[in-house]
Amino acid sequence: MAAVLDVSNLGINFGGLQALDDFNIQVRSREIVGLIGPNGAGKTTVFNLLTNVYHPSKGGISLTGRNTLGKATHEVTKYGIARTFQNIRLFKSLSVIDNVRIALHNSMTYSLLEACLRLPKYWRQEAAATKFSRELLGVFGMEAVADAPAGSLPYGAQRRLEIVRALATNPKVLLLDEPAAGMNPSETSELMGTIRGVRDKFEVAIILIEHDMSLVMGICERIIVLNYGLIIAQGEPDEIRNNPLVVEAYLGQQRGSSPCSR
Amino acid sequence: MSALFKSNPFRYSLNAVSVAGLYAVIMFLIETGVLNRYQALMLIPIGFNIILAVSLNLTAGFLGQLPLGHAGFMSVGGYAAALFSMSASLPTNVELPLALAVGWIVAAAFGLVIGLPALRLKGDYLAIITLGFGEIIRVIILNLKFTGGAYGLKGIGRQTTVTWVYICVVITLFIIGALIKSRHGRAIISIREDEIAAEASGIPTTYYKALAFTVSAGFAGVAGGLYAHYLSIMDPSSFGFMRSAEILVIVVLGGLGSIFGSVVSAIALTILPEALRGFSDYRMVIYSLLLVAVMIFKPSGLCGRYEFSLGDTIDGLCSRIRGALSGKGGGGDGGGS
Amino acid sequence: MTLLYLMINGLQIGSIYALVALGYSMVYGIVKLVNFAHGEIIMVGAYSMWYVMSRFSVPAWLAAALSVAICSVLGMFIEKIAYKPLRNSDRLSLLVTAIGVSLLLQNLAQLFFTANPRMFTNIFAGTVTIGERQFSNATTVTIAVSTIIMIGLTLLVKRTKIGKAMRAVSEDKETATLMGINVNNTISFTFALGSGLAAVAAVFYCCSYSQIQPTMGGMLGLKAFVAAVLGGIGSIPGAMIGGLCIGIAESLTKGYISSKLTDAVVFGILIVVLLIKPSGILGRRQNEKV
Repeated sequence: MAAVLDVSNLGINFGGLQALDDFNIQVRSREIVGLIGPNGAGKTTVFNLLTNVYHPSKGGISLTGRNTLGKATHEVTKYGIARTFQNIRLFKSLSVIDNVRIALHNSMTYSLLEACLRLPKYWRQEAAATKFSRELLGVFGMEAVADAPAGSLPYGAQRRLEIVRALATNPKVLLLDEPAAGMNPSETSELMGTIRGVRDKFEVAIILIEHDMSLVMGICERIIVLNYGLIIAQGEPDEIRNNPLVVEAYLGQQRGSSPCSR
Repeated sequence: MSALFKSNPFRYSLNAVSVAGLYAVIMFLIETGVLNRYQALMLIPIGFNIILAVSLNLTAGFLGQLPLGHAGFMSVGGYAAALFSMSASLPTNVELPLALAVGWIVAAAFGLVIGLPALRLKGDYLAIITLGFGEIIRVIILNLKFTGGAYGLKGIGRQTTVTWVYICVVITLFIIGALIKSRHGRAIISIREDEIAAEASGIPTTYYKALAFTVSAGFAGVAGGLYAHYLSIMDPSSFGFMRSAEILVIVVLGGLGSIFGSVVSAIALTILPEALRGFSDYRMVIYSLLLVAVMIFKPSGLCGRYEFSLGDTIDGLCSRIRGALSGKGGGGDGGGS
Repeated sequence: MTLLYLMINGLQIGSIYALVALGYSMVYGIVKLVNFAHGEIIMVGAYSMWYVMSRFSVPAWLAAALSVAICSVLGMFIEKIAYKPLRNSDRLSLLVTAIGVSLLLQNLAQLFFTANPRMFTNIFAGTVTIGERQFSNATTVTIAVSTIIMIGLTLLVKRTKIGKAMRAVSEDKETATLMGINVNNTISFTFALGSGLAAVAAVFYCCSYSQIQPTMGGMLGLKAFVAAVLGGIGSIPGAMIGGLCIGIAESLTKGYISSKLTDAVVFGILIVVLLIKPSGILGRRQNEKV
């Protein structure tokens, strides 16, 4: 089966600091991949590169068969990638449903003129978008809060809304940046169910960054370990759990020696 | 939702009736002399202040970027419209709308040309660069031959009437209101909320910033055109930073991100100084005190964007319907979407 | 018009811009606010000096000192009343408030002193001859005193305890608090210092241009702000360099092109700088973390 996301040899440096190098990954449709590593290993940098928030100094990304080099973030989103943010970035003072409707921007096609003159196409597409948004929120049990300001939601619901908003752009690949951060164990196990459900219902591949090992080991089919911008290990959860290099990267033995010879 | 959808024709006719009704009321008051000549003339500055405030609100309130050169766009549109009508000799009812269209287009073009580079910056820097552009526009107009230099333009036809101002206000409110409530408007608002998240949600942020800037500048140009054909003179010194600041006061007081607020505030702040004519020396002192006090005590402004603009009712449409249903309460601002 | 003559005149007005730009830059560095009211502080400085001298006929040095004191207190007062309550709200509100304060000061001045310009007697009468040309004492004193002040300020920020506190607060307010620095006092001090410098600039400005009016602060302040942006806002040496550059550019434009276009040239510089290198000559670039 062809990969929906094919990243080859990706690298970026920030003013001399090689934040990421030789990053290769192929993600198949409906796969759940974990991206782990100590703080500062370059995990969020990978997400920023995949969504073209940063542009790589070398290497390339192919998303659903299309090269994303040099494209703007919003164009890459259209190709089929969406993300959530480590520090939640909702449109806080807008209603929950408007957060979703904004992400439906590209699924509507009425023009500026049609909007300003309120032609039938406007009404049709707006009504459809509203209906779709409510249904989507319903899938995540958020229909009741659709008209509340997003910023007023409890923390866990805000994280969930970020996932809903990302899904509204109709992605093939979904990037989750620390989805379980700040959650207690029962919330985390609920989240695991949600993530699996998303994969099955929306048929997306998911890459997630997470520090909570119970979640990573519990749902990821494949795990990639980053340290100092380099992949030091990848494989199934069991392989990773017992990999001495990974243990070393996390526990910090022999700090300073290069961990990339394997 | 389908019930609301079905009620569209109802809402349209309700709006059309209230727009026409308000116009009839105003005309009746003028004809019967309830509004004296002087008060009737007040309606015109109220009109272009509404247009200026609502158009500035598009960028300052909805896009969340503060341009400080709005008066610059007003002057560009005013000069363009005036030069057009002075060189053309058409019947009034054709000439003025054409001149205003020219004002819109020229000011919008300036907005786009200035906006594209300026919008690479954010926040304070954007405010400053637009202020810089505003000042440059003023200096250039002062030094050009065909704009009359420091003397400005004289003898522009006095064609601005209450009716034309009313039409322009209604069009402005309708277009900006409709824009804000569409996917395009939501895209503009999402940039204010979080530009990075907007971009990640598939919004072409640069396009929408430029769009908001262009449309905002265009309507400032229409206000400028009305102004030129009202006073029949254009004086470059009346479009400095002070003028931009006055418009900003109206918008901030009404509520950044509330079209309804801008309308109410424009009416209030145009009438107030005239009502307190004895205190005309204090006008700007009161304005500036108001501005500071509003920012400290109620930064959301009189109408606050939460009640009217954000959430689900951005253009105040629902509140107007509610007002009308509960006994013709809040129909005092004409127009709407 | 010789180049030397234009350069020295440029240095003179540039020194004034630099003094004002320092105020903008220090305040921006510490509270991230473009203090629009700063230009009006210059105006207040000029009027207080004029008023004290013409009303009470006190010696010039005392009047100048009084004007510096008045402006410093005013600067602190404005910060306490108008800016402090908004310290944690969004930047747009703060900017609008600053514009409001600026309008307020300008219109109050108009109310008390009318819009008519007042004449101001040069307190540094006399001339010096440099090379072939004569320069007024105001020119030389302005350049000399400004240089001394800038050196003093650099030492203050680099060497003293309060200077260290200022730098700490501008890096990170919370951490500075944890280190036992009184953030409120440091911010007050910064405003006082910046406003005092604006008053000094006002004195020099009045001596060279001999006319004061309520709107004088607007354009002067804006140009000084351009200087601060050019040098890199938040950077003290940047403000000095920016001020001198703007002064010289203005003087050269007057000499070689047209005095009508000086404003356009200054704002043209602003736009070019903002588009090419918004962080200015010595500023630091700040990226938003995603």
